Amino acid sequence: MSSSDSSSSSASDDPNPKLKPQPLESQFQSSLTLEDSDGVARTDDASVAEQQQEQQDEGSGNGSVDGVVNVEDNGHRDSSDREEGIGSGEARDGDGGSGGGGGVVWRRANSEVELEVEAPASPSSSGYAGGRGSSGASSASRADDASEEDEIEVVGNDDGGAVGAPDSQAEWTPGKRHVDEDDASISWRKRKKHFFILSNSGKPIYSRYGDEHKLAGFSATLQAIISFVENGGDRVKYVKAGMHQVVFLVKGPIYLVCISCTEEPFESLVAQLELVYGQMILILTKSLNRCFEKNPKFDMTPLLGGTDVVFSALIHSFSWNPAAFLHAYACLPLPYATRQAAGAILQDVADSGVLFALLMCKHRVGTSLKVISLVGAQKASLHPDDMLLLGNFIMSSESFRQVTSESFSPICLPRYNPMAFLHAYVHYFDADTYLILLTTRSDAFYHLKDCRIRIETVLLKSNVLSEVQRSTLDGGMRVEDLSVDLQQHTGSTSRVEDKPHTETPERIRESSLVGLGGPAGLWHFLYRSVYLDQYVSSEFSSPINTHRQQKRLYRAYQKLYVSMHSKGIGPHKTQFRRDENYVLLCWVTPDFELYAAFDPLADKALAIKTCNKVCQWVKDVENEIFLLGASPFSW
Amino acid sequence: MQLCIFDLRRGQQEGQELDKILFFFPADLPFATQLSVIGLSEGLITFTRIFSPDAACEVIEAERHSHVFYEAESDIWMVMVVDKSKESKAACQVDALRKVLKEVHSLFVLFHGTMRSMLEKETSGGLIRSHLYPFITDYLSDFLTGRKLQLPSFHDCLMERGTVQMLTVGREAAIEVQDDTISLFTYAVLRLTPHALSSGATSWSYLQRTNAGSQVPALSTITNSGSVSDNIYRSRDASLDQENNCQVKRPLHHNRWFRGNDGFLASDIWGTDNGSQTSVTPIVYLQLTEERMYLCAYQHKSLTIILLVPVSSILNGEQGLSLVKQQVLENASLKMLMVEEKLSKGWGGENAYHVSGYRYLLVDDERVSRASPPAKVMTLAKESLLALSKLREEVNLEKKRAKCSNSEVNCDKELEICVRAKNGAWVIARTSRGKELYMVLEKASETLLYAADSVEKFSNRYCSGVFSLD
Repeated sequence: MSSSDSSSSSASDDPNPKLKPQPLESQFQSSLTLEDSDGVARTDDASVAEQQQEQQDEGSGNGSVDGVVNVEDNGHRDSSDREEGIGSGEARDGDGGSGGGGGVVWRRANSEVELEVEAPASPSSSGYAGGRGSSGASSASRADDASEEDEIEVVGNDDGGAVGAPDSQAEWTPGKRHVDEDDASISWRKRKKHFFILSNSGKPIYSRYGDEHKLAGFSATLQAIISFVENGGDRVKYVKAGMHQVVFLVKGPIYLVCISCTEEPFESLVAQLELVYGQMILILTKSLNRCFEKNPKFDMTPLLGGTDVVFSALIHSFSWNPAAFLHAYACLPLPYATRQAAGAILQDVADSGVLFALLMCKHRVGTSLKVISLVGAQKASLHPDDMLLLGNFIMSSESFRQVTSESFSPICLPRYNPMAFLHAYVHYFDADTYLILLTTRSDAFYHLKDCRIRIETVLLKSNVLSEVQRSTLDGGMRVEDLSVDLQQHTGSTSRVEDKPHTETPERIRESSLVGLGGPAGLWHFLYRSVYLDQYVSSEFSSPINTHRQQKRLYRAYQKLYVSMHSKGIGPHKTQFRRDENYVLLCWVTPDFELYAAFDPLADKALAIKTCNKVCQWVKDVENEIFLLGASPFSW
Repeated sequence: MQLCIFDLRRGQQEGQELDKILFFFPADLPFATQLSVIGLSEGLITFTRIFSPDAACEVIEAERHSHVFYEAESDIWMVMVVDKSKESKAACQVDALRKVLKEVHSLFVLFHGTMRSMLEKETSGGLIRSHLYPFITDYLSDFLTGRKLQLPSFHDCLMERGTVQMLTVGREAAIEVQDDTISLFTYAVLRLTPHALSSGATSWSYLQRTNAGSQVPALSTITNSGSVSDNIYRSRDASLDQENNCQVKRPLHHNRWFRGNDGFLASDIWGTDNGSQTSVTPIVYLQLTEERMYLCAYQHKSLTIILLVPVSSILNGEQGLSLVKQQVLENASLKMLMVEEKLSKGWGGENAYHVSGYRYLLVDDERVSRASPPAKVMTLAKESLLALSKLREEVNLEKKRAKCSNSEVNCDKELEICVRAKNGAWVIARTSRGKELYMVLEKASETLLYAADSVEKFSNRYCSGVFSLD
């Protein structure tokens, strides 16, 4: 999906003849009558449809080829147009006169309408276009020197240990990498983790690395594998070869594939594919299935145009965001009263016809999402996965991030209702703190704007925003603060408040560089509250201070999670695991799950005691680290 | 269950795909279905090579079937397709199934040499097909219970296929095991001693290898080296090829061994000597050197002695061999009596390896194993066995990973995992210095420390402290 320059459609007319997978294709065909592989070589039909789509694009997109429309005054008109598009999607598909594809493209073009009321309209530099066309190339070149994410499999690379810059995570730049590669390139084949989305006719929709158009042949091979097994009345889950795993997920007309040698368990990878699919649904809704019903060779890439950055950010988060495998969200630590104040005003707004109101903030490290408060209208509850996907969508799209701007965008919450669009009003109060108001009504922009103003006033008045800033600076729980003597912690209402304000910045800088680790060799922990769907993670401490080490620990937790929640026989109750890197202890109860990492030489008995203390500590401060009571789950 | 063997070097022309197939079970499946299984397998072998050029395709896991791959010889693949809905519903151990493939191939090579060499001998493929079919059918018959194939499943997670099970009393003897021993051991358990020992029961063997120069591996229980190797006459290869060609031998055929006139075990599987009544002594191939050896087996009560005599060292075939056998009996029969007596006294029967309170499997260097008796393992809850089976998969993965990342240094994975399963049982895996220990403790108390302590005690007592912490 790198660049959908309209003229490039002919590029895939014949799949690259020197591609390796070709013989494979013919193998499948030789031994069994396969579905015709029209998906590989585009038929004339398809390109005609494409042309029509392009025309449609231009016709409806207010002249913007990207399908991104920035509006000032006429925004209102456009958004009501859109509602029609969604509400009567089928009708529109028809009357477009250009087949199913055309209608949907129109819809998508409009679905990317953003109202940037206060910001100057600059069609070329904002919106998804930025992530795709212009900055696509530049981010690729930037990526080459910095990010670890560009892992090419090298022996020992992953276990390199102490080398590596501290916290290169912050330097990660979202966006498509290595667009120049295809399946014939050695470097492409050696990438540690590929993600593909394709249609059931074998048309490429998204590839994490390389240019989708050049991967048409490869995509057709994936399709052939899936449909070959399907023709035998079965469904392929994964294939293993050496350290490589090829994981398949079929979602109606959409096929998702992950090819990885990261040693993540199958269960993790398939959960990640589910999230990638969810992200696509968040952008398009599941009604895209209808397009495929009408035209199996439907080309989806224009619909997702420019969303590369959203997918690559999501995939990147699979390597560091525990929310992705814990299926829980994290809260920003705040004094109880502060969160109460925020919750009250959000509740107020929710009662006035807002479906969900979320006050979120970006963690200082990377783009991790933390909830300040969230409220849902009666009976409506928000799944943590939806929050992850929504947060990723908003934080990875440059256009939302303009401070003090407001955006109004259609989104779908796949776990809430995969068939329908909601409308998200997004506003950043400052660089890190933002508000999301979700509604079912497409004409609610001005109402939501009013709501936002009300909320902002209250937040300022009750000092919520400054508390938020202080908390982001302070960070969360530190293993160093777990005292050996538990007495010190009982009764302490807020650790954050214990610290003198003036010392805060120094303290942060110091401890983020040289955390000493906690008692009994405790290095890190994750605590998930089952009922709240929330988790808390300790700050990284020595020696887990490089990005590589953090990622390794993350993977170890992920493996442990899968091991504990083993399908059919799980969940297990306890697990102790010692290898050359860590002692890991896990404890799963109906109320909570604790994952703790210790020095590999840690003493068993002491480690167990320490885990008990961590649980006690979390319970002592749960008022500050979790969002209690006000959550929509209490209904 | 389907099992196929195909050669990727054959049938590459369109229309000749059938030529690839060397074996297919069940044989009565339509060719189109057979070809579709092979087509998928071949497709994925090619596909996975794009990303993993060095490590071949191992398994395709689909909702209803598992395809387990084993590249037995270069470009000759064995693929087993297991129907998950019919066979044990819970996940089969892929590694255990691959070991089945490996075992049947090893046994085939033991008696017939490599498949490739047979294919080179007779390029049409008729010869190998005519050998594979009865061989594998006979092999699979062992898995039949009634009309159903009972493949390894999670129930067998406290056993290790492809290892020799040692008798503790054998500790004093020098032990050196290699692949051939395992094949022979397997064969001995499978066919030579069907009545004396129930399948999977313990036997004891060790390999005595004389100096490299004389290259006479003799597998016997006779520790004294004076007997066999002294009687070797180096001479020209007395080939029995002509004889072999006329009929396909079925070394895995059931109940075909009996006591011969000379006291050694004899079988009519290999036919009888021209005119005379004595049966032909089977010849086996050693894996590494591909050297041909006469296989002579002798049984005294529950003691089985296997002698391998190089074909090249026997001057005049059966006659020369019977001379060797005679000398063995003359020189060693007394010792055999004594050894048997010693063993049967020292051996505590089926439950010899039972350690009260423990259900365990101990594997040494992937070659030798010791385990709780199957009857005791059967007392475990299904949940415990499933949990251990799953845990073993994880450990296998870690082992594989350690191998892949440290290909130059043979670094053994140090691992300790204790899981308290849903049913309260402790399921434990330990690997250390090439040794592996798996354990289920159902009656241990709730605490991890107690479970760890139990492992420690076991380790100190039965594993010379390998798994102890200090």
